[in-house]
Amino acid sequence: MNQRTIIVKKDIQADQKADAAVLREQLGRRGTLVVNLLSSPGAGKTTLLEATAQEFAGRRSMAVLVGDLETDRDAQRLAPLVPVAQLTTGGACHLELPLVQRGLQALGDPAVDFLFIENIGNLVCPASHDLAEHLRVVLISTTEGDDKPGKYPKMFRTSQVMVITKLDLLPHVPFSVDAVTEDARRIHPELDVFTNCALKGEGVSDWCDYLEQQHQQLLARYHATAGNH
Amino acid sequence: MHERSLVQRLLHQVQQIVAEDGGGRVTEIRVQVGDLSGVEPLLFQAAFEEMVSDLFSSECQLALDIVPVMAVCDDCGQQFEIVDFQFQCPACPTGAVQVIQGDEVKLISINVSSDNPVEGVAS
Ligand SMILES: [Zn+2]
Repeated sequence: MNQRTIIVKKDIQADQKADAAVLREQLGRRGTLVVNLLSSPGAGKTTLLEATAQEFAGRRSMAVLVGDLETDRDAQRLAPLVPVAQLTTGGACHLELPLVQRGLQALGDPAVDFLFIENIGNLVCPASHDLAEHLRVVLISTTEGDDKPGKYPKMFRTSQVMVITKLDLLPHVPFSVDAVTEDARRIHPELDVFTNCALKGEGVSDWCDYLEQQHQQLLARYHATAGNH
Repeated sequence: MHERSLVQRLLHQVQQIVAEDGGGRVTEIRVQVGDLSGVEPLLFQAAFEEMVSDLFSSECQLALDIVPVMAVCDDCGQQFEIVDFQFQCPACPTGAVQVIQGDEVKLISINVSSDNPVEGVAS
């Protein structure tokens, strides 16, 4: 009987990460900033996207890929405002790159300024999947409790931005913006933090200014011009 | 549970690597799981036990090594272990650090046995 050991030493997601890097580069060259939005269920991703679409209306082009377990309710909310494709995972708890590629095809590969990916409501699994985003944004609502960052370190470590939503509920819930920010910045000191109440339109323009800034930096990086590919 | 999709990916990779290496019976798969990999070792182990017989014998073992998160400081270059997910250099009060270990799931090695060299070629 022969015994042997094959040494591999390879990240089991290496191929997926390489594919994501290629797509990120392609979309970046075309002038599209890809934004991956992650949160627990009900943190307000769709509401923020609605407000963002209204703020950008007539100025900036955007499209949305909506990940959903089963229903297409979120996609229906956004469809009157912007091009939307629904990505159904068939029960899986996170999106993977092939779904994003299919969604882009369904939209006809649009040369938009912003491509938002509304991920499945889950703070664990989506953190481990690169969807070719340039910007990973984690949303946390004031109704969730301010101990989330410590419980989900990977999510807060791999995101560049934290958006605290439903700020209007602050007087009614035991939530401290300072505490959650401090907690999150222990995990990720360079984390950019925004607060808003998208439902009332508060804080949305700061968030959109930031996105435009990030978009300008992307264009500068690739020496591209908006809408030109 | 994304552990299931990771285990599935792992098993397919092992199958391919072993086939390219001449085939044989896979007896042990060694995997390194980092504390910042987003993988829960117990769930990973359970998914493995459930799925291993799809491609290999249920005798095939999973050897799971948990590795701590290591980082390097951008400012002073010191390497250190991240404890309790505090991403801060012990020497520098501010400044960014880069994770150099512990944020991934790695296939380390595969033990294969073959009764004789011509037999047991994986398809
Ligand atoms: Zn240092």
